Amino acid sequence: MEQVIVNGFYLGAQYALIALGLTLIFALMNVLNFAHGQMYVLGGFISYTIYGKLGLPFVVALISSGVTLAIVGALFERFLFRTVIKRSLREESTMLLAAATAFFLDAVILLLFGEKQRGVPKIVKGVYNDGNLIMPYDRMVVGILAIAFIAGFILYMKYSRPGRAMRALAQDRVAAQLMGVEVDRYTMIGFALGAMLAGIVGGLLVAITGINSGIGGPISIKAFLMVMIGGAGVVGGAIAGGFILGMLESVGLTVLREFGDVTYLVIFAALMVFLSIRPNGLMGKPWG
Amino acid sequence: MGEILNFANVELYYDHVYALKGVSLTVSEGETVALIGANGAGKSSILRAITGLRKIRSGEIHYEGKRIDGLDPSAIVKAGIAMVPEGRRVFPYMTVRDNLLMGAFTRSDKAEIAGSLEMVLGRFPRLKERFSQAAGTMSGGEQQMLVIGRALMAKPKLLLLDEPSLGVAPKLVQDIARSIVAINRDERVSVLLVEQNSRMALRISQRAYALTTGAIALSGNSADLLKDDRVQRLYLGGEL
Repeated sequence: MEQVIVNGFYLGAQYALIALGLTLIFALMNVLNFAHGQMYVLGGFISYTIYGKLGLPFVVALISSGVTLAIVGALFERFLFRTVIKRSLREESTMLLAAATAFFLDAVILLLFGEKQRGVPKIVKGVYNDGNLIMPYDRMVVGILAIAFIAGFILYMKYSRPGRAMRALAQDRVAAQLMGVEVDRYTMIGFALGAMLAGIVGGLLVAITGINSGIGGPISIKAFLMVMIGGAGVVGGAIAGGFILGMLESVGLTVLREFGDVTYLVIFAALMVFLSIRPNGLMGKPWG
Repeated sequence: MGEILNFANVELYYDHVYALKGVSLTVSEGETVALIGANGAGKSSILRAITGLRKIRSGEIHYEGKRIDGLDPSAIVKAGIAMVPEGRRVFPYMTVRDNLLMGAFTRSDKAEIAGSLEMVLGRFPRLKERFSQAAGTMSGGEQQMLVIGRALMAKPKLLLLDEPSLGVAPKLVQDIARSIVAINRDERVSVLLVEQNSRMALRISQRAYALTTGAIALSGNSADLLKDDRVQRLYLGGEL
């Protein structure tokens, strides 16, 4: 049982970090970033190239994933989303655009990195084993890093000047403008930050599960699940949603093993019931 | 007394419907000017045009002699114009403290910001009691004090107030009116006040403009307007 909880916690930390990026973009722009999973995959392949192929330190690879995705996010916001949001009268336009960016990134990733599953050498060797709990050291390192990133993100949003500006924008756009917050600037920073988080998780997880170009869509779906469980646009909701999904997956894979691969079927069915009772998720409010 | 704001022949449209058709008004340094008129007469549109939240179609807006129409709202705030928006609009999930600090977003001198914070808390002691509370959980009157305090944190030279008495308990309307007078006097802030409570607005202002459907119908000294027959009939509901 401890093993299941530890696995769930480890998975939950990664998921929470993915959901945070998605929820940040949603809170600021009311855009559901369909390309979030693809951004994760791109981050994974960048770390694979730098750490796995070029043999540079893992830290360098992780930073490169983050920085590259931040730039991609900033460019997407500046040249695609900003123009569409300014000119379109209907909300569906940004949805279509978001879907299009997902397909676009899928194609770019396939072109650059091919369709093969890629893995990298272990970042730390060895396994912790005390008889009833087994945990490879590399998973521990990745789990701790993910939690450190979550903590860093929360502190940044709470205490930094851009963090306060983004919270203000998410809570009341007009009032934030009247405080002198430059909407365009901080929306771009927010999109870049959200994309960066996706890239960092991709970079982290390539060290454990490897990466392949086909998992962008499924990762996006999982990210939506977490945000729906926790409540869209809320930091606490994204974290709660991430850990809940991680735990459900971990428990499901153990308990439901004998029934075959049905964990996600059960999770989806449960989510439908849950959302019909609480359509706004656990903490359905605009930003916390 | 120099002019701090000159709003000249401004036309403003929402899509194809006009909100202002050639409105001109001025605010002098140190003055409190009231805008009165029915709902939809265009009072709030004037404030939105000044702060840059709405782009004007034609006309010019000068602030301290410089043209400001077409600038981004953030640049206008930085220049010294702060607005208290209609319907309070606190940042509901931020504490009172963080709300007030957001008001000083365009300023960088920490010591001066701390000084302003002290001034605001001295003026509204209730905010001190609620300092670490989430703003959304406070009463309407407290939230109104908070947004006025938040605007003062920008250290404005011109303060725009949009319906500060709307949705506030009658007892507190007096308090808010008094604090507007005090702010105008003590902080040397010029005030442009939009109010549907015309009587209160005329009592605390030196001059006033009365609007009907996007144009100025009457203007003059507030004391004279209070006694004016047309104002009595149209804006004060007859009785004195």
